[in-house]
Amino acid sequence: MLPLSLLNAAQNKPMLVELKNGETFNGHLVNCDNFMNITLREVFQTSPDADRFWKVKECYIRGSTIKYIRVPDTLLDAVKDEQNRAREMGRSARGGNVSRGGAYPSFFLAFHFRLSPWGSSKAGVIACRVIIQKQRRL
Amino acid sequence: MDSLIPFTTSGSLVDCVDRKMMVVLRDGRKLIGVLRSYDQFANLVLEDTVERIYHADVFAERWQGLYLIRGENVVLLGEIDLDQEDEIPLRQVEWKVLEPYHKQDVATKKHRDEFKAGVLYEEKGFCKEGGEGDGY
Repeated sequence: MLPLSLLNAAQNKPMLVELKNGETFNGHLVNCDNFMNITLREVFQTSPDADRFWKVKECYIRGSTIKYIRVPDTLLDAVKDEQNRAREMGRSARGGNVSRGGAYPSFFLAFHFRLSPWGSSKAGVIACRVIIQKQRRL
Repeated sequence: MDSLIPFTTSGSLVDCVDRKMMVVLRDGRKLIGVLRSYDQFANLVLEDTVERIYHADVFAERWQGLYLIRGENVVLLGEIDLDQEDEIPLRQVEWKVLEPYHKQDVATKKHRDEFKAGVLYEEKGFCKEGGEGDGY
């Protein structure tokens, strides 16, 4: 998934933002946008030399000043699971709406959807639709 | 697939995804991790990242986790050959042992570069650097 989508998915999660000047901001992500501008809450700000600290309730960071963002490692897996779950929900909704004509048993259709190697790509969806249409003609 | 190489987009990082990469940042940091994704700005998502510091024939590593790196801060990206990565002529030590030496190296280099930039500016008319932490 795209880097900015990972950031969007990290809302309400704790993270560490380091700016180009070396300052670090530890806080929970409130919101972000396509420019990587972010708002954080419950922030611990540290100066570049790590000699001064501030506690800030909310802050806004302009995306262009960010060097990198460190995010909890569990986030990538959590987001992938969410995406898979959303995809399967979408698939089962689509599969339920299609009328299955002929002697094609429903479990076989499930086979096509679940074990499709195309994943959620458009090509995969179109191919699935072709299979379903062919079954109707049987 | 090889015949399609002339038709694939150039400057694409798709061949680097899910590979172990070393990223050098503009501030001189070297991060090693698995590249998971990128976008048109070359913002990177690096998983299981380790920061590595070098000094003489010794290096040290510190585990950092999941990184989202803003593309403009990246100098270069290099693929790590998993077969050869353990055959380097350097030995590994503890981070806290090596860190002071590394910090000293960084300070010396910064001082030297600042002096050089000053001389080039005063005597030869070169511009001063942006100063945005271009320490590499």
